[in-house]
Amino acid sequence: MNSLQLKKVLTLRTIVATSAGLCLASSSFVAATMVANYVLGDTAWIAILIGGALCFLAAACFSELNGILPTAAGIRLYFSRAFNDQVSITVSLVYMLIVVLGVVGVESYILSRVLNEAFPAIPPYAWIVVMLSLVTAMNLRGIKLAGVFQDVVTYSLLAVLVSIGVFALYKTGFQLEAPLSPGGAVGVVQAVAVGVFLFVGFEWVTPLVEEVTQVKQISRGMMIALGVLSVVYAIFTVAMTAVVPKEALLAAPAPQLLFARTILGDFGASLMIVVILATSLKTFNAGIISVSRFMYSSAREHVLPAVFSRVSTRYFTPWVSILALFAIGLTVSALTLATNRYMALVNLAAAVTSIVYALVGLAVISLRHRMPEEPRPYLIPCGYLIPVLTTLVFAFLAVALLASNLWVLAYLSVSLMVCLVYVNTAVPYLKKKHQARRPAARRRPSRAAEGVEGK
Amino acid sequence: MATHDELTESLKAFTDSYNKNERLKVMNRDWNRVVVVKANDIESLHTLTVAGGVVSMREGASDQPDLTVISNSETLADMFYGDITPTEPYNNGTLRIMGSEDDIVRLDFISLMIWGE
Repeated sequence: MNSLQLKKVLTLRTIVATSAGLCLASSSFVAATMVANYVLGDTAWIAILIGGALCFLAAACFSELNGILPTAAGIRLYFSRAFNDQVSITVSLVYMLIVVLGVVGVESYILSRVLNEAFPAIPPYAWIVVMLSLVTAMNLRGIKLAGVFQDVVTYSLLAVLVSIGVFALYKTGFQLEAPLSPGGAVGVVQAVAVGVFLFVGFEWVTPLVEEVTQVKQISRGMMIALGVLSVVYAIFTVAMTAVVPKEALLAAPAPQLLFARTILGDFGASLMIVVILATSLKTFNAGIISVSRFMYSSAREHVLPAVFSRVSTRYFTPWVSILALFAIGLTVSALTLATNRYMALVNLAAAVTSIVYALVGLAVISLRHRMPEEPRPYLIPCGYLIPVLTTLVFAFLAVALLASNLWVLAYLSVSLMVCLVYVNTAVPYLKKKHQARRPAARRRPSRAAEGVEGK
Repeated sequence: MATHDELTESLKAFTDSYNKNERLKVMNRDWNRVVVVKANDIESLHTLTVAGGVVSMREGASDQPDLTVISNSETLADMFYGDITPTEPYNNGTLRIMGSEDDIVRLDFISLMIWGE
C-alpha cells in the first residue's frame, strides 16, 4: 500500500491550520470569559493551559485510534469496533447533534448581536438568515475554500489575536498579581471543564488521514494546534480580563468586540468585526460540510431515512442533508435569540465533548484487548496510564459540568433518550425496509453456476 | 475470497454500467481521476481512469493515483457489482479509501447513481 503514492497529499501546515481552525470560533471567546469568571483574578490562563493539556491526553488517544483505523468515519468506526454498533451510532448522533447545534446556536447568536450593533437598522435574525443562506448556497454549489486560503485565514486570525492580546497587556503595563492563586477547587474544575469547549473540534482533523502520507502527521498536527491554541487563548483571555471587568465581559454577547473597542477604539471594533465574521463563516461552513456528509453517510447505511442520501446531479452535493441543516440552523438560532440561553449551549457542548473524550480513552483500552495484533503507527507511551487518565479526567469534568447545570443535564438526558429510542426503533425499521427493497437476486454471478472455484 | 478474474469482471460490470449512463458521463466530464483498486488478501491490482467523463479499466497499478481503494477481494467484487454499498464496509473498517474527501464522496455518489440504494 505504501508503494502507491497519492498525487495530492496534505502538508503539516494545512493539518495544523485545519485542526486549529476548527476550534477557533467566535463562541470560543464567550467560553473564555466563562472560564475567567470561574477563577480568581487574572488566573484564567491556568485553567486554559490545564484544559489544553487535558486535550493533549485525548489527542494521544485519538492518534492511537486513528493509526489502527485510519478512516474518515472517525468515532463512528472507533466506537463500533471498541464497543458495538448501537453505542457507536447513538454516541455519534448525540455528538453531532449537540456539538454542531450548540456551536451553530451560540455562533449565530454572537454574530447577529455583533452585526446588529454595527448596523442597528437591520434586525439580528435577518443577519442569521443571510449568513446561513450564504454558507448553505456555497455548500449546495460545492464551493470550497482552497487549502492555501484556509491556511492564510487561520494563521492570520491567530496572529491578530496574539498581537491584540500582547498589545493590550503592554499598554496596560500588565503584571500577574496572584499568578498561582486561582481560588477554590470547585471553581477551577468548572473553569477547566468549560475550558475544554475552547478546543472542541481539534480532533475533527482525523478524517484527513486519507490525504496524508504518514498517519503520524495527523497526531503531530493535532498536538501542535493544541499547543498554539492554548497559548493564544491564554494570552487573549488574560488580556481581555486585564482591560475590561469580568462582569462587563460576561454580559456582552461578543466579549472580544468589547475588549477590542476598549483597547483600540473604533479601529479595534472594526478589526474585531472582520475577525468575528471570518471565524463564524469558517465555523458555519465547517459545521455544514461535516454534518451534511455525516447525514449522507448515515442515510447510505440506513441509519437515517434514504431521502438524506439524495445527491445533486449537477454539483455532486448531498442537497437534502444541506437544506435540512439549514432549516435546523435557522430554528436553533431563532430559539437561542428568543431565549438568550446561549451559555447553556456552551456548557452542553462542553459536557458532550468531555463524555466523548472519556469514551475515546475507553476505546483505546478496549481495542488493545480486541485488536492486540493490529499494527499501531502511533502507540501511546506508558502503557494504560494515558487512556485511563483520559477516561477518568473527562468523565469527572462531564459530571462536574452536569452536576452544576441541571438544565444542561436535562437537555442532555432528553437528547440521549431521543437518540436511544431512535436507534432502537427507527434504525431497525429503516434497515428492514431497505432489505425488503433490495433486488432478490445478486448481480454478482454465483461461482457454482460459472464453475469458478474460490481459493 | 474472490479471484483476480472475478474482480476484473466486477470492475468491467461497473465500467460498462457507468459508460452506459449518459448523465454520469456529462456530470464527470471535468473530473479526470486515476483510481487504483487493490485487494489486500490476494495479488490483484486494477486501475480505473476517468477522462473526459468516460471510464476505462486496466489490470495493474498506476504510479500516482488520485484515489486508492483497498479492501478484501470479496468486498471489492460485491461492491463493484453493486450488491453492497461502499458505505457499509467503509464504516465497519473493511474498506479503506485513500484520497481527497471530495473525491471519495464523488466515488460513492457514482456508485449510488449506478446501482441505487
